[in-house]
Amino acid sequence: MATIGNNNLNAKLVLLGDMGAGKSSLVLRFVKGQFLEFQESTIGAAFFSQTLAVNDATVKFEIWDTAGQERYHSLAPMYYRGAAAAIIVYDITSTESFTRAKKWVQELQKQGNPNMVMALAGNKADLEDKRKVTAEEARLYAEENGLFFMETSAKTAINVNDIFYEIARKLPRAQPAQNPTGMVLVDRPAERSQAASCCS
Amino acid sequence: MFGTQASREISHEFQPQVWKTSIHTRRANITVKFQDLYGFTVEGNVDDVNILNEVREKVRQQGRVWWALEASKGANWYLQPQISSISEGISVGSLKLSALANTIALKRLIRKGIPPVLRPKVWLSISGAAKKKSTVPESYYDDLIAAVEGKVTAATKQIDHDLPRTFPGHPWLDTPEGHASLRRVLVGYSFRDCHVGYCQGLNYVAALLLLVMKTEEDAFWMLAVLLENVLVNDCYTDNLSGCHVEQRVFKDLLAKKCPTLSAHLESIGFDVSLVATEWFLCLFSKSLPSETTMRVWDVLFNEGAKVLFHVALAIFRMKEMELLMAQQVGDVISIIQRTTHHLYEPDDLLTVAFDKVSSLTTNTITKQRKKQEPAVMAELDQRLRRLNSLKLDEKSPDSPKE
Repeated sequence: MATIGNNNLNAKLVLLGDMGAGKSSLVLRFVKGQFLEFQESTIGAAFFSQTLAVNDATVKFEIWDTAGQERYHSLAPMYYRGAAAAIIVYDITSTESFTRAKKWVQELQKQGNPNMVMALAGNKADLEDKRKVTAEEARLYAEENGLFFMETSAKTAINVNDIFYEIARKLPRAQPAQNPTGMVLVDRPAERSQAASCCS
Repeated sequence: MFGTQASREISHEFQPQVWKTSIHTRRANITVKFQDLYGFTVEGNVDDVNILNEVREKVRQQGRVWWALEASKGANWYLQPQISSISEGISVGSLKLSALANTIALKRLIRKGIPPVLRPKVWLSISGAAKKKSTVPESYYDDLIAAVEGKVTAATKQIDHDLPRTFPGHPWLDTPEGHASLRRVLVGYSFRDCHVGYCQGLNYVAALLLLVMKTEEDAFWMLAVLLENVLVNDCYTDNLSGCHVEQRVFKDLLAKKCPTLSAHLESIGFDVSLVATEWFLCLFSKSLPSETTMRVWDVLFNEGAKVLFHVALAIFRMKEMELLMAQQVGDVISIIQRTTHHLYEPDDLLTVAFDKVSSLTTNTITKQRKKQEPAVMAELDQRLRRLNSLKLDEKSPDSPKE
């Protein structure tokens, strides 16, 4: 859950998507500015944190990069429970991965935090000649389902920072109930107990 | 196959080890890159290099202890099938006194580490893999590999996808030869047990087995005995139900053995499964330095899956004070990861695992698993039903069409 204090926002963000869509590569590009042609397969999930400055506030993302193989699906709730944002990743060269992405969207709509900011990332946008999923098709799907959509490339870095910044910008508005008057009244210990009660 | 693997082993064991470092300084805070015993690139400071050198010397000393025992107890004394500790079902009364003494001696010895050069034959014997292998025709592995060659399944596609993503950059695993060998073991196993097929995580386990065992075939049998006899049932199948069971058992054990820490972690919203899932699926191969992982596996193959709980508890135990100060989930994860990645001295971990964590028996773990199974099954079942209801929604006319 996103928690606010002194213009600093802590936000849990989860990446979901098919095996090999490039979830870990997107995170590695965003957090370390690196790209590896062969990124180690993720088991369970990997954790990263990264802080962004947006306007006069900072957003500290606590990022859960999950394993993509279908059977790991049963572990996913542990990672998306209480998440303020999700990036659902597919590979533009694989229609299967797009189908899988839609399933994740549905699951999050039903099971996730209702105020969750959801982004759809069509990754591997540098592989234009192998493209199987058109940008129009994905954009239409995203609009119908209230997600924002970007095509990204962890390899060339196109739109990678942008997607995280866009999420960061959308976050505070997605949590109006927590901070209705714009005044910060919640201090840290209270936030923690709140977080514990909703996550346990 | 054997020839190339054997020469590979020689390069591990007998080449005079020169640290491939670029240390031009004695300052301890400079990070250096070097290769460890198993060819993995390690990044660490000069202190880490020193620790690894000490560990290497200890490995040599431990080798001498094994040779001395071999001289007094007879060659291959440790290979007698009845002296393995894994089959706790055997009543002590049925063992001869001399065999019992050997069992105890071997258990102690293995906790101090098996010399790398003896690992292939000792692992095969103590784990029960040799016995498993002996129940099928000698040509089983070659026949299996020949029979599945050229077949394409969901599992083989996923395996092919993961080959270059398994310890990328390793001087042997990440070569065409290494990929082909790993592929044969994983594909072969996916046909041996179609319920498991291929599960991500097995790629790391099989890769390390290939580095240790003398032949690819023996690596295959070690993988088979792990999945079929050593680890919890269904650890890697379908919805990973066995892994879910182990996580719950572990959570309970931590609450029992470290109640203050367990309560603190819960209060800040940290679920131990966030770190422990990978430990139990990759058997620590992605978290601990290679020789430390091998030392955990030495004991795992001799004493069974309870060892994973000992080690997991030890990691939390070692950092208890620091973890009690952590106020955020991210901090807990950083502490744990920093700790595991730097456990270059296996004895630091194993001493805590077996001396500070009070003894767990296989029976206790089995009972705990039985207790947790219904809850896991109910949870997974409920989840499946929710997902199926999503599918029904998909078919209803007012939902967006695919």
